[in-house]
Amino acid sequence: MATVADLTQGQKGIIKDFAEHVLPIKLLELGCLPGNSIELIQVAPLNDPIYINLSGSHIAIRRSLAELIELDIIEETQAL
Amino acid sequence: MSKNINVALIGNPNTGKTSVFNQLTGLKQKVGNYPGITVEKKEGICKLPRGVKAHILDLPGTYSLNTTSLDESLVVELLLNKNDKDYPDVAVVISDVENLKRNLFLFTQIKDLKIPTILVINMADRMSRKGISMDIEAMEKKLDTKIALVSTRKGQGIERIKELIADYKNLSSAPNVDAKRISPEYFERLQKTFPNEDLYKLWLVITQDVNFMPIEKKHIEDATSFTTKSKEELKKLQHKETVLRYQFINNTLKETYKVDFLAAKGFRASLDKILTHKIFGYLIFFVILLTIFQAIFDWSSYPMDFIDEQFALASEWIKNTLPPGVFTDLLAEGIIAGIGGIVIFIPQIAFLFLFISLLEESGYMSRVVFLMDRLMRPFGLSGKSIVPLISGTACAIPAVMATRTIENWKERLITILVTPFTTCSARLPVYLILIALVIPKGTILGLSYQALTLMLLYLIGFGMAIFSAMILNKILKIKSRSLFMVEMPTYRLPLLKNVAYTVLEKTKSFVFGAGKIILAISIVLWFLGSNGYSEDFKNAEQIVNDRIEQEGLSTYSKNYIQNNIDAYRENALAEGIAPEVIQDSIQSMTHDLRERAEAQEIASYKLEHSYIGQAGKAFEPLVKPLGYDWKIGIAVLTSFAAREVFVGTLATIYSVGSDEEETIKTRMAAELDSSGRPLFNLASGISLMLFYAFAMQCMSTLAIVKRETNSWKWPLFQLGFMSVFAYLVALIAYQILI
Amino acid sequence: METVQHILVYLILALAVAYLVYKFLLPKSLIHGGKKNSKDCSQDNCGCS
Repeated sequence: MATVADLTQGQKGIIKDFAEHVLPIKLLELGCLPGNSIELIQVAPLNDPIYINLSGSHIAIRRSLAELIELDIIEETQAL
Repeated sequence: MSKNINVALIGNPNTGKTSVFNQLTGLKQKVGNYPGITVEKKEGICKLPRGVKAHILDLPGTYSLNTTSLDESLVVELLLNKNDKDYPDVAVVISDVENLKRNLFLFTQIKDLKIPTILVINMADRMSRKGISMDIEAMEKKLDTKIALVSTRKGQGIERIKELIADYKNLSSAPNVDAKRISPEYFERLQKTFPNEDLYKLWLVITQDVNFMPIEKKHIEDATSFTTKSKEELKKLQHKETVLRYQFINNTLKETYKVDFLAAKGFRASLDKILTHKIFGYLIFFVILLTIFQAIFDWSSYPMDFIDEQFALASEWIKNTLPPGVFTDLLAEGIIAGIGGIVIFIPQIAFLFLFISLLEESGYMSRVVFLMDRLMRPFGLSGKSIVPLISGTACAIPAVMATRTIENWKERLITILVTPFTTCSARLPVYLILIALVIPKGTILGLSYQALTLMLLYLIGFGMAIFSAMILNKILKIKSRSLFMVEMPTYRLPLLKNVAYTVLEKTKSFVFGAGKIILAISIVLWFLGSNGYSEDFKNAEQIVNDRIEQEGLSTYSKNYIQNNIDAYRENALAEGIAPEVIQDSIQSMTHDLRERAEAQEIASYKLEHSYIGQAGKAFEPLVKPLGYDWKIGIAVLTSFAAREVFVGTLATIYSVGSDEEETIKTRMAAELDSSGRPLFNLASGISLMLFYAFAMQCMSTLAIVKRETNSWKWPLFQLGFMSVFAYLVALIAYQILI
Repeated sequence: METVQHILVYLILALAVAYLVYKFLLPKSLIHGGKKNSKDCSQDNCGCS
């Protein structure tokens, strides 16, 4: 199963259902809900944390947290 | 006259809430603290059309009403308590046009509290650049509110906010999302138990950890007819609430808010590429830090010298103008010297806060957090620790509070414990005056030695923070989840006005907060320094005069006379005055100088046998190995209340012991130790700086650490560990350098 | 004149001492009615749950 941590720079994905209780509510409030899109913008110098665009909110999270968010990766062709 | 309209400004962080507040209130604002806690309370008055006035309260920024920090609890507490005198007649939710969806989350929550709510969509000037188009009228209908489209940067839309506030009685206070939908069965029972209460409010009281006046949380928990759910179950329901709210918001925005990504132009992406680059990112960060230190040291030295001189002049003027007596002495020596010790540091503190607020306002600080997270983790810190560590260079108190954003308790605790090592602005005065005294002038690669020393001291403080974090990370056995989340706001050019307000506010709070303490301590010290109980003190004049008759003047006095004469001769010769004339004037000068030196010796003798002198002498053996005399010892001791007292203390002690008005610096430079060398030499100066770098000398920080960690264990640990460490390092440094 | 000066000095001294006592020795809770912090936050997940 692909997770946010598997995205490469510039790649997008749509959030699938996930075990909600493991994620902090703050993340949900920022829009981390099934159906919303996530785009990987930047990876920090030592490969962690990662900088994502979570349906309009620009935030950075650690890989360990990113691994908990499952998603369907959209192929590059669909991106702009 | 009708009652003022109570208005609460609420909004996510980074939405320009402060700008809206500044523009609504202008200069008619005041900053205080909420009673009993250190969260800043900003309020102001705004004149509305038709002669009505609004009392505006700027609440701390929050993402939602799910509180996770003291600041946020405050927002919820106010909004739940109808009896609070600040309870809003109308809430103004500030949102940012780019993040409208997320901002609306908070909006719907506030709307559901049945408070009349206005939505302000800020940063409208970015709409066309971001390809955003909105149907405001349709949106107003969907959200059942009134909307003001505002650009604080261009000053547009503020009038519209004022009109809407004045017209608040026509606002709807119907909720957006029906709380019952979260869990019909659960809310049904809740309603039955508390038929008179509002459901959504009850829900917040149950899920949030806040003080709620009308119905205490405990009452709900105790109600026999009603059992609350377990934490896990409640959390699940909170998730459900989040989903419901987003459904409502998505529905609203689907037809009213459109983004044309093709039209969107942003320099965020390209700027991010550089500023978070593997190499350039760190390089830029380092250059920024270097610039800050050079500025603090170099640019501010001019106003500081000027202030120093002015206070010496003021002191002299008072002595010459007012009738002689003890009160005049207190004014000239205690109070003026004390105030001088505060005012002199205004330029530096202003510079420091200027830079920090520029970094935060521009959005750069978040990038630093992003860059540093992975690097900080091996030390048990989070990338977010960088914010406390940097703002700790201003003051450890807000820095310790800023650790609240760190999600992981172990990382947070370590950050709290090591933050006081960073060089706060209170250490700056001590460093600056010592550097000016013991570090030679001169430059290397365009940077002065003095600036480099200062930079080094900052690095030592920072290094020590990191090092002790590493140790703490090893010894503290706390299990916690590795959570981390930081918002990366869009870059913006800092608004000059906001920066200016911050600098003004912080400087003011230094002057009136720390300043009052410094002044009070100066007064007490002056009193202790100019009074004594021993026979030696009372008969000082007799004793000193006898000694001078038998042994002649002290080495210090002889040097003092000789130096003055030499300086005069050199000057006179350079000006081409005849040698005989010079000889004559030297004769009369010597007489004057001798008299002054005698008075000086009496004054010093008195000081040595005053209350403070006796206390200092008793304390001296402890600081002697570090290269300090009893006067510095006193200054170090009083610094345990607050470091910035150091310079003020020395200024007071020296001016009590001196018959002349000189600047603090020259007085310190002239001080000799028992073997006739300058008291402030390289060895003792560096030993002192290192002591101040490591010692935990700040009562307020200890108090705040106690509050944040909820136990005395940690602040006492800090006090003990840091102070013993500081003593040892200072001891070693002095013994090596001497 | 001398007495006035003495009185003034003791007055100011008393003010200064009172201020320091108020600031450092009295526990804050006595002054502000002992409002307890509702969010002590000495636990994990502070800031995210």
